[in-house]
Amino acid sequence: MKELEEFLTGRIWLLNFTPFSKDLIDEYISGGLIAVSKGIGKDRVCARCLENSPQKIISFYCSKCEEACYYCRHCINMGRISSCTELITWKHPTQPPQKNHSFAWTGTLTNLQERASIKVSKSLEQNHSHLVYAVCGAGKTELLFVPIFKALQKGLRVCIAAPRTDVVLELSPRIKNAFPDTRIHTLYGGAPYEEGFADIVIATTHQLYRFQDAFDVMIIDEADAFPYSYDASLERAVIKAKKETAPVVYVSATPSERLLKKVPERSEIFRRFHGQDLPVPSFKPLWNYKKSLLKNKIPKKLADWVTDKIRKKEPFLLFLPTIELIDHSIALFQKLDPSIEAVHSQDPQRKEKVMKLRNGEVAGLLTSTILERGITIPNVQVAVVGADDRIFDASALIQIAGRAGRSSEQPGGDVVFFHNGIAREMDKARNRIISYNARSRS
Amino acid sequence: MKCLLCDSTIVYSPTWQGLLLRNREEPVCKKCKAEFAEIKEPRCGICGLPGSTLCTDCSYWETTEYRGCIDAGIGLYQYNEAMKTFLHRYKFLQDVELSRVFAEEVKRSLRKPRGVVVPIPMHASKLMERTFPQVDRLLDAAEINYRHFLIKSNSTQGTKTKKERMAVENLFAWNGEAVPKKILLIDDLYTTGTTLRQAAKTLKDAGAEEIRIWTLIRG
Ligand SMILES: [Zn+2]
Ligand SMILES: [Zn+2]
Ligand SMILES: [Zn+2]
Ligand SMILES: [Zn+2]
Repeated sequence: MKELEEFLTGRIWLLNFTPFSKDLIDEYISGGLIAVSKGIGKDRVCARCLENSPQKIISFYCSKCEEACYYCRHCINMGRISSCTELITWKHPTQPPQKNHSFAWTGTLTNLQERASIKVSKSLEQNHSHLVYAVCGAGKTELLFVPIFKALQKGLRVCIAAPRTDVVLELSPRIKNAFPDTRIHTLYGGAPYEEGFADIVIATTHQLYRFQDAFDVMIIDEADAFPYSYDASLERAVIKAKKETAPVVYVSATPSERLLKKVPERSEIFRRFHGQDLPVPSFKPLWNYKKSLLKNKIPKKLADWVTDKIRKKEPFLLFLPTIELIDHSIALFQKLDPSIEAVHSQDPQRKEKVMKLRNGEVAGLLTSTILERGITIPNVQVAVVGADDRIFDASALIQIAGRAGRSSEQPGGDVVFFHNGIAREMDKARNRIISYNARSRS
Repeated sequence: MKCLLCDSTIVYSPTWQGLLLRNREEPVCKKCKAEFAEIKEPRCGICGLPGSTLCTDCSYWETTEYRGCIDAGIGLYQYNEAMKTFLHRYKFLQDVELSRVFAEEVKRSLRKPRGVVVPIPMHASKLMERTFPQVDRLLDAAEINYRHFLIKSNSTQGTKTKKERMAVENLFAWNGEAVPKKILLIDDLYTTGTTLRQAAKTLKDAGAEEIRIWTLIRG
């Protein structure tokens, strides 16, 4: 396989934005090996992200074409797709040469993990989709290793997609360690170019826009929000990126009703790998907490909770409903301990700050919902301030609670939902956690 | 309606005043809008830079052959992070729809222009590449009438230092149509002032008597 073929196999790419020279690409186009298609055709659908809503596919007078063209606002950050841009694909993908994959993971699975792992393999052998329904800290990634290895040995191409960059970055080293001889690409917005044909692609769901008929096995981690009610195009991206008959493995701690209905083959783990119960959140009223914080006063109960954690030197995560409230309150909390930091989704130092919390360099972090998944901090204590806020639905609250007690050394951990009136989603979250614990004992 | 910048749903809080005055849709949400910083007085009377009434750049320009080319001018916004992101999306990512973001403000500011509105044109090859004339579209979105009197020749601005750019040959030519006496010259971004001064000089050489400049952003 030539470099260009390795790059383009399974991809759909803007003709003018490849890592290769225009001349080289033109040569392959005239040789009939690369297919060229319109970015947006008569159907007014973006060929890359499959967006079709008139709010996103915008008509404009194009000075290049001297007539009305359309462009896609949905995936514009990846380079604009319009009626007059061209996308290229590799016409007839050849089977990449058989490689020697090795499996270097030396850990052991719990009985529950083992059972789930076998079930996943069985589904994949029959080309069936599968849902791994497992609580936070059940060790979901590890149970996928053997099914992934089996797929690799059959020469299949595997994609692991996750909704957010953090999760992708966390998964990547673990997958690379497990499969040291396999070429693995990690794709997210701003990721560097990696050469060669990757047998495993770990990508944010958004990056899947750039693939087409590429994968034989599709794994969707943190598929809680799937089928992505907030962004239907992501679901279409998953379908477009995989080969038509390729099975999907959905991994979720809080699958939606629709997903539960859609995927009959399923494995369930309601017990954490260390065998202990999930910490059950306690509810504590914190009346008018917002007003109080805006008046530069931390409500007493909250201040006591934070001070207690500082005194015991226990790292803590404090979830707040809005970035504005975080920005406003951080100075107040820093009076309790100057090392406390704020972190939110657009923070470029997010990773460093989380590492600092892990290393004990900061006492705690104030955060928005974005840190709810994908991080493990031993002995972390968790509180949600304003757990009744609309932004915290049951699944987010379960994820947040699931941050606590993940390590076997400290399986406990305090989880408090401070609220201004108990919301239904809070009840739902607590009841589910209690039921997971009960089901795992039965 | 979704915000053109952050895609969040724009919630209306209908007030009587709002119901009476506002019959068009807001293109961006309040939060995004608040990120942009308008330029307030005191500012340079020529380029609009906040600070003194005549900035050091402009007083330098007044010692060159471009002395008196620009009679007065304003810039609407500062070139802060939000504005950099906006301009990147509008021009580099070619998100034409963003021409609507400042439509209301542009309209208000240019409601009674003191002179014929003349946008800075783009070079033909640049226009082909970008697929839309960014200054014209800002004016179109604000429903401001304008006329072209200039033609831009090929520019290599990006590769030169500030000094070199200030000394470079004039990149604008007159298109030959009778030039009005009073002109309001429009550009999206004022950085060094070379572009606007060259354009102004060309127009004055072609017969214009008073030239004011108006830029969306004073960088
Ligand atoms: Zn698109
Ligand atoms: Zn076009
Ligand atoms: Zn917005
Ligand atoms: Zn000035």
